[in-house]
Amino acid sequence: VAKTSLTSPPWPEVKLPDPVEEAKYHAAEVVRKVNGLISAGQYGRLFAVVHFASKQWKITSEDLIMMDNVLEAECGDRIRMEKVLLVGADDFTLIGRPLLGKDLVRVEATVIEKTESWPKVNMRFWRRHNFQRKKIISNPQTVLRINTIEIYPCLS
Amino acid sequence: FIQHFRGRKNRCYKLAVRSVRRAFVRSTKARREKKRFLRALWITRIEAASLEHGLKYPAFISNLLKSQVELNRKVLADLAIYEPKTFKSLAALAQRRRQEGFLAALGDGKEPEGIFSRIVHHH
Repeated sequence: VAKTSLTSPPWPEVKLPDPVEEAKYHAAEVVRKVNGLISAGQYGRLFAVVHFASKQWKITSEDLIMMDNVLEAECGDRIRMEKVLLVGADDFTLIGRPLLGKDLVRVEATVIEKTESWPKVNMRFWRRHNFQRKKIISNPQTVLRINTIEIYPCLS
Repeated sequence: FIQHFRGRKNRCYKLAVRSVRRAFVRSTKARREKKRFLRALWITRIEAASLEHGLKYPAFISNLLKSQVELNRKVLADLAIYEPKTFKSLAALAQRRRQEGFLAALGDGKEPEGIFSRIVHHH
């Protein structure tokens, strides 16, 4: 049968690696390599994406983070952050779906400062209606320093 | 507060009062719009980075969400700037999930389900 312009669909036909076993074997090989790299300690700086205080932060070690709220911890307390979304180094990244396991990553931080922000002015004004409201707001802020990010070779 | 304004607003009281009032009101409104502006900025940056890897922004974001990776746009933009390799791997993940979605939608036969489309359950 002659090939016309409508025999094959206009989008490029893509074939995925079919057998699930092949993908599983490949995954096992990749997992073994990454575990070997982690246990050998052949990574430089680690960065992590952490969900903290309803915000996501991209953090490395020796990092300062400031949040606009109050933490119930004294200055100098060590905090372990759970809810790690992503961990990466130079050669490999571990992407969580959506979170990574607690036995894989460990992120430690210390509370350094608990201060207030600079006094912000909140003003509303309607012209010709004699309406003016002025409010000075200073939010409490906390400063954390990320000490270490560690990973353990417990992939599967 | 007003030393850096232009003209007589930085010297005369009457004019200064008006301009200070307008400046306060504008700063409060701008604080609310800063969030929208930054989100649009992140979206344009992620779009540019994903186009470099051959994907469009809606495809990228929808496939990332379907494969249960919940990174927000701020972090994605930072990754695209400072960690190009990680962004490339995320783009490849989104592309693979997209193709699995196409096969699942078009084939609808007794074909094996995609590997990246599996949903992980946490307890």
